[in-house]
Amino acid sequence: MAVDRPSNTSPEPMPPAGDGPIIIPDQARDDESLRQFGMEEHPQGGFHGLLEVIPTKADYVLDLIRANSLWPLLSGLSCCAIEMMSTATSVNDIDRFGMFPFRASPRQADVLIVAGTLTTKMAGPLVRLWEQMPEPKWCVAMGTCTTSGGRFKRSYSVVQGVDRVMPVDVYVPGCPPRPEGLIYGMMKLHELVKERRGQWSTYVDRGPQRTRWEGDVR
Amino acid sequence: MEHLRRPWPAAHALGRRRALTAPVAAGALVRLLAERLEVDLRHLWTDEDTVEYQVDAARAHDVLRTLRDDEDLAFFMLADAGAVDYGTGERFEVVYHLFSWKHPSWLRIRARVDRADPRVPTITDLWEGAMFHEREMYDMMGIVFEGNRDLRRIYMSPDYRSFPHRKDFVLPDDAADSAAAGVLPLERPETWDLTRFNQAPDVTFPPSDLREDAPAEAVEDGETLGDKSRPR
Amino acid sequence: MTKIDPETRIPDPIELDRIEEDRLRAVAGLAPMRSPGGEYAGFDQVGIPDRPPQTEREREIYAIEEGEMLINMGPQHPSTHGVMRLLVKVRGEIVVDIDPVLGYLHRGIEKLCENATYTTVLTYVDPMDYLSTMHNEHAPAIAFEKLYGVRPPKRAEYIRALVVELNRVFSHGLMMGFLALDMGGLTPILYAFINRDEIVDLLSAISGQRMLFNFFRVGGVNFDTNDEFLSRLGTWRSNVMKNIEMNERMITDNEIFRARTIDMGTLSGQDAISLGVTGPNLRASGVPFDVRRAHPYSIYNELEFDVITQPGGDSYARYLQRIAEIKQSIHLIDQIIDKMPHGPVQAQVPGIIRPKPGRAYAAIESPRGLYSVYAISDGGPNPYRFRMRDPSFISLQAMPKLMPGRLVADTMAIMASLDPVMGGVDK
Repeated sequence: MAVDRPSNTSPEPMPPAGDGPIIIPDQARDDESLRQFGMEEHPQGGFHGLLEVIPTKADYVLDLIRANSLWPLLSGLSCCAIEMMSTATSVNDIDRFGMFPFRASPRQADVLIVAGTLTTKMAGPLVRLWEQMPEPKWCVAMGTCTTSGGRFKRSYSVVQGVDRVMPVDVYVPGCPPRPEGLIYGMMKLHELVKERRGQWSTYVDRGPQRTRWEGDVR
Repeated sequence: MEHLRRPWPAAHALGRRRALTAPVAAGALVRLLAERLEVDLRHLWTDEDTVEYQVDAARAHDVLRTLRDDEDLAFFMLADAGAVDYGTGERFEVVYHLFSWKHPSWLRIRARVDRADPRVPTITDLWEGAMFHEREMYDMMGIVFEGNRDLRRIYMSPDYRSFPHRKDFVLPDDAADSAAAGVLPLERPETWDLTRFNQAPDVTFPPSDLREDAPAEAVEDGETLGDKSRPR
Repeated sequence: MTKIDPETRIPDPIELDRIEEDRLRAVAGLAPMRSPGGEYAGFDQVGIPDRPPQTEREREIYAIEEGEMLINMGPQHPSTHGVMRLLVKVRGEIVVDIDPVLGYLHRGIEKLCENATYTTVLTYVDPMDYLSTMHNEHAPAIAFEKLYGVRPPKRAEYIRALVVELNRVFSHGLMMGFLALDMGGLTPILYAFINRDEIVDLLSAISGQRMLFNFFRVGGVNFDTNDEFLSRLGTWRSNVMKNIEMNERMITDNEIFRARTIDMGTLSGQDAISLGVTGPNLRASGVPFDVRRAHPYSIYNELEFDVITQPGGDSYARYLQRIAEIKQSIHLIDQIIDKMPHGPVQAQVPGIIRPKPGRAYAAIESPRGLYSVYAISDGGPNPYRFRMRDPSFISLQAMPKLMPGRLVADTMAIMASLDPVMGGVDK
């Protein structure tokens, strides 16, 4: 089976037999993006899911439960929020995917759908919301403003993409994305949930933290 | 070929408007302004639907008060109050648009403000709704309204140091190159703390407390470790 | 039974987190996380300002007497108006003072428009007041046509009026839904969104976009009507009166709704004019000011409609005003469909226009009030100054007048009846 891969990468080694954690190496080890974080040598390099245990049937069912009952956090900032609400209401209904209750409190939410333009003034509160959400949590960047700054590319007060301040799992492009587009993004998120992304093995829990900005005197 | 012609006149024949010429539209208003405010007719400029008048910043408040309180002028509604920057070395302008039932045109008052010392008397005592307008003008242009009870930034953070709508605040192709870019930490990538991604993870799945071979946690005196859901 | 000393203070969870944080920092060898000023805290600790109060009004707000509390209704809250922060000073449950903090959605649109061509400006202003996009584009289009000296063809004016009134219908419908949602009624919002989806599919048939329609151009509109648009328009028109009446019946005579909106947030006409409130809020206070009649633009001189007012000035009057305006808009749509002429839909205007140096002011009636644009041209391809006056921004100043004396729960209801949209407020 011929697989397209660049010739300078070696084929994946087989996992070791016997006891010990099974580390399935990830192609991200060779990735450029690891270098800027200094993570080339990191045993769990990259943000891709690395499994330390083989998922059992029970884990699979747990993932299925999580995927089919993702509760979003009400974090509609701007125009995409109206399309998110339109996705949530009768005509395109994400209640059928279990996402009916848009929780007001971040402590009860699973998914943070950042819908709308993120500005520098709002970035602080939004990151605080993200940090308040308990694990497992996922982030969906809805719309082009959250993906890359969008139509406000040169603006002095728009954060050029929400992935500058928090890790994003799914990007849904569009301005605003059609409700069908957002539902497609949610289906992708279901796939990610089932492949156990955003679980504890890929996140370092340091306890209550407070984002520190330079020049912060508080 | 008659049957192929469109039944309506061609688009380019719809014509452009006549060039805007002498004050024609608002005769009564112009006369009244000349009387009540002693305006020189040469300083008035009219358009199809607007009469415009320039004043100095210091006189703006009195002019607007007369316009509002006079029975024949009766400009009871402040439609808009905005600021314009004409560049470094030039002036600012605070532009007020007023509406009256008695006159068909909008009235535009352009108050010239010195750019080096931009101070204008506030009109919040005439119209309370001017408060947000003046806060926005202060935030975006740096024009100080004397007598305003609440002159603080409204759009930007309170610790923001620039005035975005000025002409010397440039938005280049790469916003990082502008003179006032990166005032806030989020705008500057070099302030992002990426070291938290470097450190080795000290938590594994399943949590170490639940493993059979987990070491006993040393509890210090007087410390409560009620929550064992994650290592401390 | 152990006696619990009533003087014992149980630290609240935020304090516990801070204690925890200080302990971790001490373990790591860092100084504790406290402000050096002592009495000034950060954004996170409400009730204590984060720097000395700089203005008189700030001193008023932060002067807390015995029994009062400063509560933060933070930028993220379930009320669906967007991101706005309210510092509410309460005594018990009664609101004593309120201070809105804006700017969480400030995108710098005016500054971006100074670097864009005139046609691009029409796309930049779309997401301002994102529930009434067509109105956002209408005012700059009129202003640029005044600057350039071109008049759009009659058919274009009629199509503009048609889409603008359609936009007004669904914007007011959404206001009714949000008003009920902020009071806890979860059903009317679903009906409002069904209504909106119908109209938005209709508008997407003519403009290609569901929400931020990039439809207006300097000199006309982008596309002419097509078969799908006309057939959907017919279907919609035959269903709309029934739907509006059904939505209305759900809320208007509902006793909880009436109890929570009648005599709430009463705004007198004089106060409204002084505050700069325009639009349905002003007409619900009895002042018959409608820009379409006061300073007619587009084809509104040729259409017949009434300027409706309500005598009350309370939230219920604002709600009734919007229902009446929906019916007026449908009446206007009927007239427009009857009278629409044939013709081109866009005047011959070059792609990059360079109007002669001058100034233009154009004001229109948006679902929230008087929306106006003041444009200055310097002869180049970009506008020299592009200033927008958004009605929701100015209407928010009514809040410190309307809220004090009411319960906290009424705060959101009154704000929903003023119908602000944060995209327009923060530009």
